[in-house]
Amino acid sequence: MATNSTNFYDLYRHGSLGSTLTDALDDLIGAERIDPQLAMKVLTQFDRIVAEALSEKVKARLTFKGSLDTYRFCDEVWTFLIKNVTFKMDNGAHTVVAEKVKIVSCSAKRADDK
Amino acid sequence: MSNAQVGTVYDHIISEVINAVRVDFEENGVDDGVLEELKKGWQHKLSQLNVAQFPWDPKPDPPPAQATTAQQAQASNPTPAPVAASYTQSTLSPQTSAQPISLPAGHLNGSGVAIKSEPGHVNHELHPHIKQEPGANGTHVPTSLPQFPPGTQAGSIAQMRAAAAVADRFGQRASASIQAIHGAPAPQQPGQQVQQQQAHPGQQHGLPPHMMGQQRPQQVSQQQQYQQQIAVQMRMQQQQQQQHPQHPQHPQHPQQGRPPNGLPAAQVDGPTGEVYEGVLMRRDAQGRPVEMSRFEIDELLHAQLAARAKQMEGGGLMLPVKQATRHRGIAGEKNPASTQVDGIDDDIKDEDLDDEDAINSDLDDSDDDGEEDDDDEEFGGYMMLCMYDKVQRVKNKWKCTMKDGVMTVSGKEYVFHKGTGEFEW
Repeated sequence: MATNSTNFYDLYRHGSLGSTLTDALDDLIGAERIDPQLAMKVLTQFDRIVAEALSEKVKARLTFKGSLDTYRFCDEVWTFLIKNVTFKMDNGAHTVVAEKVKIVSCSAKRADDK
Repeated sequence: MSNAQVGTVYDHIISEVINAVRVDFEENGVDDGVLEELKKGWQHKLSQLNVAQFPWDPKPDPPPAQATTAQQAQASNPTPAPVAASYTQSTLSPQTSAQPISLPAGHLNGSGVAIKSEPGHVNHELHPHIKQEPGANGTHVPTSLPQFPPGTQAGSIAQMRAAAAVADRFGQRASASIQAIHGAPAPQQPGQQVQQQQAHPGQQHGLPPHMMGQQRPQQVSQQQQYQQQIAVQMRMQQQQQQQHPQHPQHPQHPQQGRPPNGLPAAQVDGPTGEVYEGVLMRRDAQGRPVEMSRFEIDELLHAQLAARAKQMEGGGLMLPVKQATRHRGIAGEKNPASTQVDGIDDDIKDEDLDDEDAINSDLDDSDDDGEEDDDDEEFGGYMMLCMYDKVQRVKNKWKCTMKDGVMTVSGKEYVFHKGTGEFEW
């Protein structure tokens, strides 16, 4: 996955937090309140802050099991399509079952190295 | 892994991002209000996704709670509302029927100046007042209505109303019948009784049966006099009154139109249809005097609209030269007739977005794997975004160590610091 100038993945832009931010930015751009360049700066900051917040603020753990349907490794990015997944959180206290889940994962090392 | 943490973490991220870009906004000369707007818009959109509880919207929860309590309150005592409704009905109907005599009646109600406007008082104080009219005319009316001659007991109020109605409708021609009404109970009396029956079904039982018996023959004789005095058209009208006595004003319009036309009531719609045809004809007359079908008119209007739109857009006045020429080419390809203005607009917009290098383009082509975009939709948005520490495989068994993940499953969002996954291929 491409990295930007501040060496953080823009992976999280695809999550709900990132997509809503881009939506909100799009609205402002559409109304010509801000430049697209400024919006890109906002997203760059977002990449950094999300990565920091997830590593620093979140302590929760997760284990999950399932049957791997598809795997792919390209440009240091793993993509898994897993079926019949069981997520266990809070040390197994809370369980969520999903029929299919797509996992997109970037290398943690590369983010750290840079 | 926690859904409860999502709210606080996201809130933290949002405020961090907003603070981080404040300098950039200032450097770009963008007002601080826009930044606030961005924050609000972001939070709003995130709340709409409803993936977790967010600290900035505690408000959405209380309103539903209040609504439910209100509903419960309504459900717990459903009786008061209908009762109140029936009271208002009962207060309304005597008011309307008593309007001609409201002033003399006001004197007699001991307390009664503003009784009618206050529901609390009306409920009990108007009941005796109601009873005056339909039932116990013999005792109450002479005292409560001193202006009427004492001889006209039963239906005196009705007489007044009937006389007024007839005078309204027929003016001088009906003077004889008005006099007849004053001499005897009015033909509208049954109508009023129907009204009262509708408002207070119970009250009719209080009516003495012999009173009923007296009134009906009187009505019949009155109607006969009436019919003799008025012409055939008037007779029809009176039948109409008998058929719809509770709406004495309504039959007026059809009756006025009917006798000269000689048309039955059901064909009132006919003439209006012809009128519409006339309107169409007039519009045609501007272009051609000949009759035109609606389809032809539509075509004509559409052609004019298209021509105007073409003038505005096709001329390239409002567009850069590049786009103007380009969209002409598109229009030529897609719409040879060049009448579909909407299509052209869309094309321009699409191209504008592409030209501006909007964020969309950055998002839309997924950087890792373009094919997977289809899978996103198939997977119903079940998606995990994370970093991997290790991915190991032994034969068909996989073990992954993930960190710093965000996951959306079943409409809920989860965040985790560390995750391990085991799956078989």
